[in-house]
Amino acid sequence: MSGITVRFGPLTAVDQVSLRFAPGQIHAVVGENGAGKSTVMNVLFGMISPDAGSIRIDGAEKRWRNPQDAIAARLGMVHQHFMLQDAMSVLENVVLCAEPTRIFGFVDFSAARRRLEEVARLYGIGVAVDRKVADLSVSERQIVEILKVLYRDAEMLILDEPTAVLTPQETENLFKILRNFRESGKSIALITHKLDEVVAIADWVSVMRGGKLVRSCAMAETGKDEIARGIIGGDLPAPLTRGGQAVGATVLKVENLSARGNGRMAGPVSFEVKRGEIVGIAGISGNGQSQIIEALVGLRKPVAGKVSLLGHDVTHADVAGRREAGLSYIPADRQTVGLALDARVYENAVIGREGTSAFSKGPLLDRPAMVGFARQLIERFTIKVAGPAARCSSMSGGNKQKLVVGRELARETPLIIAENPTWGVDIGAIDFIHRELIRMRDLGHAILLVSTELDEILALSDRILVLYEGHIAGEFAAAEADRLTIGALMTSERAA
Amino acid sequence: MRQIGPWLAVFAWIFGILLALMLIANADFGEAVTGFFNGAFGGRNLAYLFTTLGRATMIVGMALSVMISFRAGLFNIGGEGQLVAGGIVAALVGVYLPGPGWLVLLAGIGAGMMAGALWGLLAGMMYAYVGVPLLIGSLLLNYPARYIASYLVGHPFRDVASGLPQTFQVANEAWIPLFSGTRLDMGILAIIVVAILAIVYSNMTIGGYRARMNGLAPNFARASGLPVTALTLRTLMLSGAIAGLVGALAVYGVHHRFTDGMLVQPLYAWTGIIAVLMVGMVPWAVPLSGLFFAAVQTGAAGMERSADVPKEIALIMQAVIILFVAGRVAGANLADDRESGNGT
Amino acid sequence: MGLDMLLDPAFLNSVPRFLTPILLAALGGAICERAGVFNIALEGFILVGAFCAVLGSYFLGSEWWGALAAMAGGVIMGLLFAEFHLRRKGDGIVVSIGLNLFAAGLTVYLLRAIFDVSGAFRDPGIRGFSPIHIPGLSQVPVLGPFLSGQSILFYLAVAAALALQIFFARHRLGLRIRAAGENPAGLVAGGVNPNRVRLWALVMCGALCGLAGAQLSIANVNLFVENMSAGRGWIAVVAVLLTRGHPIAVLLIALLFGFVDSFSFRVQGLGLPQQFSDMMPYLATLIVLLALSAWRKAKVA
Repeated sequence: MSGITVRFGPLTAVDQVSLRFAPGQIHAVVGENGAGKSTVMNVLFGMISPDAGSIRIDGAEKRWRNPQDAIAARLGMVHQHFMLQDAMSVLENVVLCAEPTRIFGFVDFSAARRRLEEVARLYGIGVAVDRKVADLSVSERQIVEILKVLYRDAEMLILDEPTAVLTPQETENLFKILRNFRESGKSIALITHKLDEVVAIADWVSVMRGGKLVRSCAMAETGKDEIARGIIGGDLPAPLTRGGQAVGATVLKVENLSARGNGRMAGPVSFEVKRGEIVGIAGISGNGQSQIIEALVGLRKPVAGKVSLLGHDVTHADVAGRREAGLSYIPADRQTVGLALDARVYENAVIGREGTSAFSKGPLLDRPAMVGFARQLIERFTIKVAGPAARCSSMSGGNKQKLVVGRELARETPLIIAENPTWGVDIGAIDFIHRELIRMRDLGHAILLVSTELDEILALSDRILVLYEGHIAGEFAAAEADRLTIGALMTSERAA
Repeated sequence: MRQIGPWLAVFAWIFGILLALMLIANADFGEAVTGFFNGAFGGRNLAYLFTTLGRATMIVGMALSVMISFRAGLFNIGGEGQLVAGGIVAALVGVYLPGPGWLVLLAGIGAGMMAGALWGLLAGMMYAYVGVPLLIGSLLLNYPARYIASYLVGHPFRDVASGLPQTFQVANEAWIPLFSGTRLDMGILAIIVVAILAIVYSNMTIGGYRARMNGLAPNFARASGLPVTALTLRTLMLSGAIAGLVGALAVYGVHHRFTDGMLVQPLYAWTGIIAVLMVGMVPWAVPLSGLFFAAVQTGAAGMERSADVPKEIALIMQAVIILFVAGRVAGANLADDRESGNGT
Repeated sequence: MGLDMLLDPAFLNSVPRFLTPILLAALGGAICERAGVFNIALEGFILVGAFCAVLGSYFLGSEWWGALAAMAGGVIMGLLFAEFHLRRKGDGIVVSIGLNLFAAGLTVYLLRAIFDVSGAFRDPGIRGFSPIHIPGLSQVPVLGPFLSGQSILFYLAVAAALALQIFFARHRLGLRIRAAGENPAGLVAGGVNPNRVRLWALVMCGALCGLAGAQLSIANVNLFVENMSAGRGWIAVVAVLLTRGHPIAVLLIALLFGFVDSFSFRVQGLGLPQQFSDMMPYLATLIVLLALSAWRKAKVA
């Protein structure tokens, strides 16, 4: 593909990018969030039409009207957010949109089954075709996505952040499969932001920054540091530093807490978070994190157990009561839980405190005070936005997240619960948010960090708990934590 | 006005549909138009204009009731049940409570508002405590309200001599007075007050802010510790009380008794919903929108008189307008699009 | 009034007459539900179907033409829904409210404009479906009067429920409809436009609701009355909500509602004020809705 340009309104997301993908090659495309790498891949796969540029396969120019055209040209894509139907079986998912049909449009499931089993055998992938996707683990779902692509006879695979949801061991498994594909002459595009993986598997690497291609060369000609500098466009941020300090009194105490939600039971779990420490909870998404957090925050009634905040039993308090008692919450989903996107920045900035004397006079709102406070947050947290009265939907992901983090940290509560606080934001915002969390820790706040990014847990935590199937499978002090051991615990309960 | 083109296209469509309907009815177009404007704004001594204002009292009232709920993200389409509950209770109080006229009137209005509030609360409790979707729960409650009222005026409290399923008349002293020289009652003043209060509540109070945050992003409101359940119940009671007030005003100002179907047949509640949706729930625009639809309805009645166009054309026109507007104002999301300028 | 009344042949024979319109409309609603279209305009769809059935039957002289016209009317409503919801991006609830009022207004308007009557239109020229007596079956106790002597539309409705079950499981469009409802992004990634799938769902829904209307106006009776659907569309909506669009469950719940409906019709003769019997189907619907919501809530919590 060459000279690809994509504009979204006034924004140029991708600017004159040209890439080549060769058979039998793994081509890594790296860059931070918002660098345009996913957009380029969506163009390649026909989900977005470029404003300029062309796609050529074996020299012939192609125009995609939709992904169907790309699929017909034997391209396949595994999306970062899986495109599966939970309620359907593996087989139904695989044939969807490529159904072999008999008379009157009825699907020939037996033919489909034969073909799927043949494909799976060819690449040495074990699969239970009749299981429901809802019952599969995250890594198994990814296998289903890959099978979908293979079923359609793809010669080129695009994988968008395939390892974001995997443990180190599962990542290794995936790479084994990808190497198999390379052997059989397929072309693979791997989109990632994890440099270790690039070094481990890629033959060719392309670096994108701000919508532009800054480098494209054989892996042998470059190195990890050089790629990293290319991604950021300057020097790496200074490493995180933290004050050495003794932890203080217990702030959050959780005893035998169990909660049920989305048809799953989490717990019982017991742990404590003390003043001046960051406790990280590691685990693959869907292992009970949301149930436990919701039970802690007051969004879900626990089935059993006790939650105490600063020595007070808050097990039966509601959200407002707990926030009052000294808890702030940075939710994972800033789009619907962290913010009201269609409301203004100042309206979002004071939520939960609108009834306090700072922002109201009797039953009436004090708008100037609300706006003034929002302006303070914007300055203090360097939020890029048109102004306090702008709508939140007009901000970028990183700035939205900074607003959420700023609002919650400004409450200066003894306990801060942060759930995937840097999910999907750019490196600058990640660094900023990490530093703020550490600053709060150094000031003596207790922080519970729940994250599916193992790197984030390792970088910030003083203590690490590993969550597996709703239970705490292991606990480590930061100094003795080891990626592989934690990774193993994240997928099975052995050891510990 | 950013894009005039699409709006013109919408007007062209609506106009075309109206024309087609008149063609089917074999109506004289010129006479229909004259009849429409005369029916909405004319008449001897502007009698029809006052009819329009009287109808607007009902429609704007119901629209305000609906607006309070919708802005809070509560799809309460049970306004009809709340209206009927208010009307029947107000009428029974008016007929059977002894005492001076003004007292009966006040007690009747109070009781009507209370009944409407309770009917709204019932839908709210089914929603908040049992998990019955509000949309369906509130709607289904319309039918019991309708049939219970129908039974009450058809059997135990029927004015048998009148020959119709209706209550006795409320004593003259308890009637809401008319503006002198017109047939318009002063109930409209109550609705004007409610409109002002509703606009202030929506834009300037803590309660209005909370309701709107809940309407824009319910998960956000919950996670931020807003008292969502209390907010839901209070909002639905408020909505129900306004609907009940409208019912009471219909009894004391217009009909002076409760006749079976008198609040259901004119589709006040549905027209109120449409009036709110048309202006994307922007509070200050709701009364204007209600007035507009009142004029459409009385105008259609005028067309029927002068050009023999069935007056149901008003209903079709309302529906067509809301269908075309639906894609342009997407519900709660644009709830305050026109408040205070953008940016700072 | 005792239990034996429930076994009374006349009562059993009346059940399918109430069941059929709810079942047909709810199956239509189920298709929309599975396709991710929140269609609560079933009431309006049925009403238009009922009117078109009379129109077709009266002017074209056969109940079959009536049924065809009813389906066509329903399909047009479905296409209108698609136009305003899928293409013009109107909110499903708002579009539904609009179409319900549109149907209410248009049928009365046309009734007056075409037939020059208001209230009801009855005429010997309206041909209706007559009951089909199945030899042998009608002698079987209980089942006989229930299954025999019904309009063709009843048999069609039951067959449609079973066919739909197979359709969702094994047909290409059925599979895609389920995907459009569950994770439409999956269809987009596979190169299929979810809105095209939903358009088909709305067309199918329209046809089924049209037939539901035909059952009301040219099978149960031979006339059209203003607002003839009388809340049945809403009961069908509840049936869809309760079953989450599973055809066999829809069949069972329609059976329940059909029983209550004809029971309430029946008790009218027993001295109970008409308002109470009229209210019964709605109360029953509310009670079922309350019970199931409470049960679901308990299960999830």
